[in-house]
Amino acid sequence: MISDGGSSRSEYAVTTHGLSKRYGRQPALDGVDLRVPDGAVYVLVGANGAGKSTLFKVLMNLERPDAGTAEVFGLDTGRFGPEVRAGIGYVPERQDAPHRAMTCARLLQHASTFYPEWDHAYADHLVRALAVQPQRRVGGLSKGETRRVQLVLALAYRPPLLLLDEPTDGLDPVVRRRALGLLAEHLADTQATVLVSTHHITELESLADHVGVLRDGRLVAQMPRDELQHSVKSYQLEVPDGWEAPPEFQPTGLRRATAGRVVQCTLVGEEREVMQRLAASGAVVRGVIPLSLEDSALAFLPEDPS
Amino acid sequence: MTAKARQPRLRDVLLEQVRVTWLALRIPSLVGVGLAAVATVVALPTLIRGGPLNINGWPTWIPGIMGSLMPIAVWGKDERFGPGFLWTLPVDRRRHAFTKVLAGWVWLMAGLVVFLSWLFIMARISGEHVVPRTINLLISPAPPMGLVDPATVRAVPWNPSFLIGLVPFGGATGCYLLGSALVIGTRHPLRWVLGVVMLGALIAVISQPLGTQFGITWLAVAPGRAMEILVGSRYGLDALLTARSETLSTTATLTTAKSLRVWWGIPNLADWGVATLLWTGLGSIALWAAISRHGERRRI
Amino acid sequence: MLVTIDPRDERPLYLQIIDQVRRALLEGTLRAEDPLPSVRELAGQLVVNPRTVSQAYGELEREGLIYVRRGQGTFVSSSIAPDRRARRALVRGVAERALVEARRNGLGVEELVSMIWEVAAEETAKKSHSTKPAGREDEEGVA
Repeated sequence: MISDGGSSRSEYAVTTHGLSKRYGRQPALDGVDLRVPDGAVYVLVGANGAGKSTLFKVLMNLERPDAGTAEVFGLDTGRFGPEVRAGIGYVPERQDAPHRAMTCARLLQHASTFYPEWDHAYADHLVRALAVQPQRRVGGLSKGETRRVQLVLALAYRPPLLLLDEPTDGLDPVVRRRALGLLAEHLADTQATVLVSTHHITELESLADHVGVLRDGRLVAQMPRDELQHSVKSYQLEVPDGWEAPPEFQPTGLRRATAGRVVQCTLVGEEREVMQRLAASGAVVRGVIPLSLEDSALAFLPEDPS
Repeated sequence: MTAKARQPRLRDVLLEQVRVTWLALRIPSLVGVGLAAVATVVALPTLIRGGPLNINGWPTWIPGIMGSLMPIAVWGKDERFGPGFLWTLPVDRRRHAFTKVLAGWVWLMAGLVVFLSWLFIMARISGEHVVPRTINLLISPAPPMGLVDPATVRAVPWNPSFLIGLVPFGGATGCYLLGSALVIGTRHPLRWVLGVVMLGALIAVISQPLGTQFGITWLAVAPGRAMEILVGSRYGLDALLTARSETLSTTATLTTAKSLRVWWGIPNLADWGVATLLWTGLGSIALWAAISRHGERRRI
Repeated sequence: MLVTIDPRDERPLYLQIIDQVRRALLEGTLRAEDPLPSVRELAGQLVVNPRTVSQAYGELEREGLIYVRRGQGTFVSSSIAPDRRARRALVRGVAERALVEARRNGLGVEELVSMIWEVAAEETAKKSHSTKPAGREDEEGVA
């Protein structure tokens, strides 16, 4: 279920057209038409798999897709790799920091020579806020500390697009919140566009304004988060024997009470329409529960990890 | 919406790579200085005596070794394949790789200057010349067997052009280009080196007895000949590294029980020039191919 | 002024922020000419999209409750007084939410209203019982 959200008039920061990439038998990306509006905070959700990270790598021109194209701020990522990368702050999935023999301070200085817009004062602020120790050797950092250095590397030159692949992975909850708070402040200052992939959808709920769901490489949902939460709800129903949920509403999370005829399931669709169809199918609605952003998004993903 | 983000100037990138390469070279330089200090101390008694140091020989391999090992210092353990940090930077990837190669080459040349200066000073102190003024040429142009009769040796004055000073730099550059190509173009360069060496050894070990058994003479002789051509021929490796001084000379014992460096041919600088062009050309092509593996994924 | 976000509240975030500011104004914790946290600060504190904060502040500014002094920040309007309109808006919000909840659970308006009175009465009784000083309680028991 893809929706434009009504704001189709605004420019898009990132667009992909039929992007496909396959590793062996599994399609990591399968005809993906991503649309990230300019200035949006777009959360990309999906099961563990190469899809989300592959998408980021294609945008950074680190991978060549099998089919399709991608554009960042109107520039084709394959033909204008360096120009595109100049405007992107990238936090990669893996935490292998480069130049392991350098100190953190030296590494930041090294990175600053590649980005003329680097703001040294802001970098210092980020270093202090994220408790990065400048004199530590990069090679001796833990996973979480490396992650924090990578965040500074991505934010310090205020790029117009942030590509964050599991940015809070490896960070303890306190640092996580601080990092996200920094991100919120960063967005207030720069009006950057953010494309973030995460497993911790909950902590991004208040930041996100767009959601995309990747399933088996296909983009099965892409819309503003308000629309998503309006269109996915959990319904508690009293049903006759042998009742099945109408398939057009993509039922997930179906639970039947062991006794009686009470069923709880998550359905995708506009509330009134769903209620009408349910009534028509013989079910009686006993309750409607709105879902968190995480649960709404998960409604589009398969339930069993097969 | 957004003003175009600026990209760094190539000059700044090159300078930064030069600085970064120095960071990686601090320890190897310290080791080198230490070795030189040890060698100086060991040679001290000889220096004081004013006796000959017999420099000819091992120092001629040092430039080649330095050139071959430099790519390891330049590229280190950083990710060359896959989404390495290097490739996420806003610089064209081929150009970026070239600046790293160039940065390493600059330090290689600087290191050679230091090394050769040290050698030169040592030689002068002991009253020797790094480049011999006279060559003890054998009358017959063939390597000597057994003891040498002094009567068959003629002292010939040798005054090569100043270009001979470029030999170590050319040799190191050639090795550096080939080494860089290997390090940049393969994920596991060490495995390739070991693999080729082991394969070569295997072929050498097998072909000799196989050839003699079945009477296939070329098979028995092939490995030896191949090595000869690769290293000792007119434009071989030795031509690149030492202008063929190693193939054309050896330290022989005279019948008078003295040892002397005798030659059966004179190094030809024209041949050296051609060999250098050949090997650096080969290295450049290999390097370009290796770097292109990491180029921007442009689509038609 | 402390603003908190209730993740279980399904209302848009900007409305939650607006309501909290309105409540603070009614309670008196926010007074005329008091400074409000900047969009940047509040977004960082709450880990909320700055646009959401801007939207909330924009709405509050439109209602005349706050104003922006260029270069100095956002402040509560000087002409603020316990505003009946603001109070009504707050109560209306609570009522709307309660009705939606009731409808979802298949309950009628009459049941809801009478139950509200009942529960409120119970709570007042409990409160007054627990605030009696200990001595008096004994006397009551004896008497």
